[in-house]
Amino acid sequence: MRAATNLQHTTSLPISRRRRLTIRPPKFSLTNLSNDLRKLITYRDLLYTLSIHRVKVRYKQSILGVTWAIIQPVAMALVLTAIFAFIVRMPSEGLPYVLFAYVALLPWNYLSTSLTSSTSGLVSHAQLITKVYFPREILPLTYVAAALFDLLIAGGVLVALLIYYRVPFTVNLLFVVPILIVLTLFIIAAALVLSAVQVRFRDVGVAIPVALQVLMFASPVLYPLAVVPARLRSVYELNPMAGIIEGLRSVVLHGQPPHLTALLLSALASIALLIIAYSYFKHVEATMADVI
Amino acid sequence: MFDVEVNRVSKRYLIRKPTSNESKGDRSWLSLLRKRSEFWALRDVSFAINRGEALGIIGHNGAGKSTILKLLSNITTPTSGEIVIDGRLAALIEIGSGFHPELTGRENVYLNGSLLGMRRREISAKLNSIVEFAGVEHFIDTPVKHYSSGMYLRLGFSIAAHLDPEILLLDEVLAVGDAAFQAKCLDRVTELKRNGTTIVFISHNLHAVSRLCERTLLLRRGEIVSDGPTNEVIAEYERMMSTLAPAAPHGEPVIAKPQAAEVVSLAFHNSNSQQTNSVPTGDALRAVVKFSVAEPIEDAVIEIYFYSIFSNLHCHFSTLVEGQQLRLPIGTGVVEFFCPEVALEAATFNIDVGIKRRGSRPAEFVDCKRAGVLNVTIGKPVVGAFHMPHSWRLSNNNGVVTTD
Repeated sequence: MRAATNLQHTTSLPISRRRRLTIRPPKFSLTNLSNDLRKLITYRDLLYTLSIHRVKVRYKQSILGVTWAIIQPVAMALVLTAIFAFIVRMPSEGLPYVLFAYVALLPWNYLSTSLTSSTSGLVSHAQLITKVYFPREILPLTYVAAALFDLLIAGGVLVALLIYYRVPFTVNLLFVVPILIVLTLFIIAAALVLSAVQVRFRDVGVAIPVALQVLMFASPVLYPLAVVPARLRSVYELNPMAGIIEGLRSVVLHGQPPHLTALLLSALASIALLIIAYSYFKHVEATMADVI
Repeated sequence: MFDVEVNRVSKRYLIRKPTSNESKGDRSWLSLLRKRSEFWALRDVSFAINRGEALGIIGHNGAGKSTILKLLSNITTPTSGEIVIDGRLAALIEIGSGFHPELTGRENVYLNGSLLGMRRREISAKLNSIVEFAGVEHFIDTPVKHYSSGMYLRLGFSIAAHLDPEILLLDEVLAVGDAAFQAKCLDRVTELKRNGTTIVFISHNLHAVSRLCERTLLLRRGEIVSDGPTNEVIAEYERMMSTLAPAAPHGEPVIAKPQAAEVVSLAFHNSNSQQTNSVPTGDALRAVVKFSVAEPIEDAVIEIYFYSIFSNLHCHFSTLVEGQQLRLPIGTGVVEFFCPEVALEAATFNIDVGIKRRGSRPAEFVDCKRAGVLNVTIGKPVVGAFHMPHSWRLSNNNGVVTTD
């Protein structure tokens, strides 16, 4: 039997190759972070497999399949256009409103889908968490990965829209990549914290839709940043989504580079948030199986 | 050289007790103010396992067995103490808990394998062997929701069995599936053991523990009460089990107090009239229940219940078996049950003895106790759930019958 020969091989490994693991009571610390990251990397195939399955399962037994990833933002943009372009006559920086709204809806849907699904992600896998060990951050991360997949699909439609409306492509379009990276770091940080808190307090799951609704109106998704009164601007821009949406609009629709210092600052802030969020998550993880 | 070292490990659970009008799981913010009660699942437990050793862990429900398993597999962390694991550890805890019904068998092999810490490359290399061992070659691209429960179990076990771990944690997995599958599992585990894998086996199935492990720990209320050669520890466990403890059959019993009658003891005897706790499938069994009666009971029923280790009621002996009426006067008495052929498959059963009034509500016992364990060992072959007593003959002369 092949398995048996493999086994012989494994057991004859030199002792130094054996992985040594020490399990101790949980302590809150930032120093264990590199260990945790290393462990996450050894489980990278699980992250990959689960993310792929997340996408597959979602669209299995649905006729339209992955097309839903396009239909959702397109339908939303059309409805918004009907209201804000024809009824309210919202200013849209001199661009077709549908384009103006669609560019903002993509990052917005990415954020809201990621957070809504990852918040319940740990609790809905309670069975697994109490039975098998694996780095638990993989669960919220897979939801973010699945939402990122949707974002990329929906991004294809954006390219089509840009061509249709003859928006020129410029080098500044490349800034989309760093902006999306910053957004992703921010989303991961939020997903880690929210899913971990949800394990103990299910209130989070209930609060998320409300909070997202408020945040959406406090972000320049439906309207341009310019309509926000100048005296409120400094408070308004504390919302990280404000900078990200504005940045995307300027690089995609106007061919302008984003505000570089602002981008750098938000990148640093996101990394700091992510470190704190990850340490918090790992701290909660230690006894997660007991309370879930 | 130790593969596993457990050093003065304790595990505490904090439980916020719900008030009477607050159902379980339904929490209000007020519950945050309530004091939490402590429960020590393990207290100051230390042991070490040598490389290549097979260690059994036994004990009552709630003795801390599964807490040890969760700590060793890193599912949760200790409250104090330290555990050192030297080598690749795999826990074969609940087969198939990581299966997704919508995904095909193949997709689930990848999913489950990577949950257990395998790399995709490794899984691809072993895929054929996994599928073959599970015997699901023809269904590997069918969603597992269409699988029979047997196929499901076989695939789950097969994945885990191909992990090639250096340390293997086993839970009650060997108690699932039909006898042929159990035997296959046990064979595979024995093979791993022969090849030098360190094994920790946590089980109620004393028979399987004694087959697999040379050394066993006995746990009681979170502490190690015994650590030594398996046979000695199992003997001690059986002595411990024979001291009666209140049981809770059929949910929660409502025992009328003061008790009109009481179960005093239970003993099993084999076909040679020797007192024993183990009997092979197909042999005769005699069960002797001693009881005492404080108030006369007009129409009493005495019953023995056989529970699986998962607390499923498998069968029972009853004085009602032929509808007879039983009158119990004050004093002590003995009732004997005879079973010509034990039909249960080889496994360990928890035994409750109850006395009740005929026609009383199912849970209204005069007395009901966990009275012991019965180890059914391998005797007549069981394929399926139980042995059905039968005989056979050739009805014409076409055939030769020999007995071995």
